[in-house]
Amino acid sequence: MPSRCVRVAAACWSSNNADERPTCWKLKHNTRKLAIVPTNLLHNNNNRRTQLPTQPQPKCMEVLLGITGKDFTLIAASKAAMRGPTILKATDDKTRQLNDHTLLAFSGEPGDTVQFAEYIQANSQLYSMRNETELSPSALAHFVRGELASSLRSRNPYSVNLLLGGVDPITNKPSLYWLDYLASLAKVPYAAHGYAQYYCLSLLDKHHHPNITLDEGMKLLRLCSDELKRRLPIDFKGLVVKAVTKDGIETKPFDEDEKVVKDT
Amino acid sequence: MSRRYDSRTTIFSPDGRLYQVEYALEAISHAGTAIGILAKDGIVLAAERKVTSKLLEQDTSAEKLYILNDNMICAVAGMTADANILINFARQAAQRYLLTYNEDIPCEQLVRRLCDLKQGYTQHGGLRPFGVSFIYAGWDPQRQFQLYLSNPSGNYGGWKATSSGANHASAQSLLKQDYKEDCTLEEACAMAVKVLSKTMDSTKLSSDKIEFATVGQTKDGKIYHKLWTADEITALLKKHDLAKEDTSEEK
Amino acid sequence: MSSPFSINGGACVAMVGKDCVAIACDLRLGLQALTVSNNFPKIFQYGDHVFLGLTGLATDVTTVSDLFRYKVNMYRLREERHIAPRTFANLVSSSLYERRFGPWFVSPVVAGLEPKTGKPFICGFDSIGCIDFAKDFIVSGTATDQLFGMCESLWEPNLGPDELFETISQALLNAVDRDALSGWGAHVYIIEKDKVTKRLLKGRQD
Repeated sequence: MPSRCVRVAAACWSSNNADERPTCWKLKHNTRKLAIVPTNLLHNNNNRRTQLPTQPQPKCMEVLLGITGKDFTLIAASKAAMRGPTILKATDDKTRQLNDHTLLAFSGEPGDTVQFAEYIQANSQLYSMRNETELSPSALAHFVRGELASSLRSRNPYSVNLLLGGVDPITNKPSLYWLDYLASLAKVPYAAHGYAQYYCLSLLDKHHHPNITLDEGMKLLRLCSDELKRRLPIDFKGLVVKAVTKDGIETKPFDEDEKVVKDT
Repeated sequence: MSRRYDSRTTIFSPDGRLYQVEYALEAISHAGTAIGILAKDGIVLAAERKVTSKLLEQDTSAEKLYILNDNMICAVAGMTADANILINFARQAAQRYLLTYNEDIPCEQLVRRLCDLKQGYTQHGGLRPFGVSFIYAGWDPQRQFQLYLSNPSGNYGGWKATSSGANHASAQSLLKQDYKEDCTLEEACAMAVKVLSKTMDSTKLSSDKIEFATVGQTKDGKIYHKLWTADEITALLKKHDLAKEDTSEEK
Repeated sequence: MSSPFSINGGACVAMVGKDCVAIACDLRLGLQALTVSNNFPKIFQYGDHVFLGLTGLATDVTTVSDLFRYKVNMYRLREERHIAPRTFANLVSSSLYERRFGPWFVSPVVAGLEPKTGKPFICGFDSIGCIDFAKDFIVSGTATDQLFGMCESLWEPNLGPDELFETISQALLNAVDRDALSGWGAHVYIIEKDKVTKRLLKGRQD
């Protein structure tokens, strides 16, 4: 055995059997086999797991969910407008349409959220009018990120978490972007904000597939919604669900019955 | 008559003309010819380089063709010094757009940004207009290959084939005569050298008198632009039998 | 609130070989302990042979990489040539120091080959632009301590491209496995005079 033992992985994905280990060049390290994989294989996010938060973040009782599929992006947002422990409104819509094929959902500091989202909405519409074309979801996501990033280092930054979903007007490809109040941007197959992250991401890790249909997407949302109703300590008054497809943005009927989810 | 109205760009003459702008256009029509031809699979830009003295250092960098960003190039007719200001502005505008949207700027938007600047100098500032016309060749995902021409007034338009500079009227009529819809890039290159050979003073061309550039698409769909080297231009000229005598004697 | 350098997590390492250099990064983007994305590369290319690795606060990783794209593109158009790694390193340094009293929370790593001589060049920076030139390796990110250990024991002078790939990959993968905030696969670039090889490594997905 080599004298310099680097590490023995307990649950390593490749075998730790010494015979299967490749013979390394001069040094004989107790390291494992390198696996180079085709680029498209790694990023299905199916293996992702959530962990417990080390610090609970404030104001995460609002629910934002996003799912992409074969030809659509679904965005869901909770209908409760909260102030402290009080629910002020049970039919709030935390989304704004940026253009024909892009939708922005927001949560965070009340006041900041709508202000920021409508600022982005106005800029997006101004662009569409000036240039007679629409910005793609990717371009809008980067624009939003830029605005949020410059706000972050201003005297009073916007404290807003966002999901931006859309369908590219040229390629018709659906996409979803996750942005937090620090202006970190990530393109993801599905996403959530607030406490919903801890309950729903693991669910979506298990059940999501890039080629799901709109109906399957709605079923997935139902699964998430049920879990949230079961676990979240307060009533978030159901979800507004909007679907973005190449034909535009459509509000989907969801949660109208308000049925109570049974105990586990 | 004109004396009273041409000292400032901001003043219309009684018959509704802006003399300073027209003088700028006049300055351009003394510059070397530049032409652009749109093909179905690319665009070719060609320009005449006026060699003033053989003592002048001919450095490798192009004098009339410039890269604006990853999918756009332009040809300049007019005052090079003015052009440098505008080209720097265009490059910065393109990079600023890339920074904001993480996408290349659509061709027409970049042309418009430049023309807005040019227009400003015909209306206020108390300065003279920019003495340059540009021919732009570019590609964007929405409108594919595009060719534009802009002039000192700030006007611009999209073209299938266009020209600017000395003899641009005759170049334009030659292009009109020869242009074929759906021509390939190779045919467009042939047309470009043919037109240049007729509009330039000498019928035989050489690589130190012209500059050549193309925008095209590789087999895997990537957009490239290329400023041609002297050897590539010579090869093209030889192919169409337009090269200077001393090189054609060798054959 | 934890340090801005360790909110999102991530690791990056660069190594010198014989007539080649390598640079590698992990792919995780997290929010403290929660993983948000497993496809967040932290290495950016700024020329044929110039690479920049950025770890730290994700928002600044994006901002800074986009900013350098702007600056390097303008440099290339103006100078009509690619930027050299040493020039780029000084650009990084001065750009970071511009924000001396409100820094970008990133720890950059530059790796490349000198254009004329083909000599390997690597260096690292602190968040306000102090350059750390190195002859062997540079590490940065939340797995810095682990990477130092791995590189210290695995690296040796004059490794060829293939050996260098093996070394840097083993160093990075084994380091990030002992760091909760980085991992989830890796990108590895091997930069040689006439070619650049990019490989995607699968790592532990937890």
